[in-house]
Amino acid sequence: MIQPQTHLNVADNSGARKLMCIRIIGASNRRYAYIGDVIVAVIKEAVPNTTLERSEVIRAVIVRTCKELKRKNGMIIRYDDNAAVVIDQEGNPKGTRIFGAIARELRQLNFTKIVSLAPEVRFLDNEDMILGYALERIRRSFIRYTTRRSKLKSTGSGDFLVLRR
Amino acid sequence: MLTSTPLSVTGVDAGVAATFCGELRQLAQAQFKPCLRPRKFFSCTCRKDHHLQQHRRFWKIPSIKSLNYHARNLLLSFSFSKEAEDSFFSDVSEDTDDMYDDLLDKYGEVVFSRKDQKPSSAELDDDAESLSFAVEIARVASEVKAADIRVLFVKPLVYWARFFIIATAFSRPQIDAIGSKIRDLAEKKYGRVPSGDSKPNSWTLLDYGDVVVHIFLPPQRAFYNLEEFYGNATSIELPFENQPPFRN
Repeated sequence: MIQPQTHLNVADNSGARKLMCIRIIGASNRRYAYIGDVIVAVIKEAVPNTTLERSEVIRAVIVRTCKELKRKNGMIIRYDDNAAVVIDQEGNPKGTRIFGAIARELRQLNFTKIVSLAPEVRFLDNEDMILGYALERIRRSFIRYTTRRSKLKSTGSGDFLVLRR
Repeated sequence: MLTSTPLSVTGVDAGVAATFCGELRQLAQAQFKPCLRPRKFFSCTCRKDHHLQQHRRFWKIPSIKSLNYHARNLLLSFSFSKEAEDSFFSDVSEDTDDMYDDLLDKYGEVVFSRKDQKPSSAELDDDAESLSFAVEIARVASEVKAADIRVLFVKPLVYWARFFIIATAFSRPQIDAIGSKIRDLAEKKYGRVPSGDSKPNSWTLLDYGDVVVHIFLPPQRAFYNLEEFYGNATSIELPFENQPPFRN
């Protein structure tokens, strides 16, 4: 649930670090934005010596929200932070790489460019996630590297192997 | 920027080391106690203890009582598991990924087996179908003088596509021409309609589900550098003349 004045992290290497939403694009007087919505935002914090500067007004796509994302199959996805990817007027990302987990809904919403710049990581925390991954329901959400307890290997024929500590 | 992302390299290494230590100790049939120390420190102390134990085993035993509980546990467990431990130390210098693969092959448990598994032949058929479609698209693109066409097999790398086609065009009208040619071919011959950009863009993307077409202008191609990002993907040989990349 992103609304004007919400602060967001930036999930790419465009040079911005923090954004503040100032407008949601869509209907007039739209209240909240969710994953896959385009917002107008102002850069609150930027990496020095990059093309983007503080107080610049840009467009961004929301890629992660703390508010749960519900899928039709009953799966619920919730991230730790609100994050967005800076795009230009044509919809091309301003950075060249995306960081962190990206939901597959973005592809259905015609942001395949963002998905194709995002990494694919297959280290999963516990068996529920492996199950979710195996069923292609989750991608890389909730993954915490420091507390990882098992390692996953897919044999390619549909079996998933795990090393237990 | 990097600090705000969860992809911390050190975190990964520590995690790997911790899991690995744990795994090895379990294999060594020792009484198991989770060890979360970093690997280097862990292996050094173990080595030291182990040598002590080896050389002075007989007269050292009475003095063990004076050690604290944790240290004693460590000493005892490693005296039990000498052989397994030796193999562990010889492996430390090698690549962890390979080690992991071996361990997974040997001791991995199957936690999930997908029920809607396609037989490998059906999967191969699908791959072949996508491949012929991708090569056909690449051929059409080269007819409209797209340069530096690459067809990448990205199925092992990403879950959401089988083939990437990356091509360079030198102007927006040319991008438009390439895009509309590809659209026509896909619709007439295969009956498939792409999602993605409808207007020519400096990075035009046509998404056919299993095959994704990227058409770039030269500066954008260098900027996003998709080939490098998907550097591990196998490149498919094309059966026709490919124009070399355009250089100023």
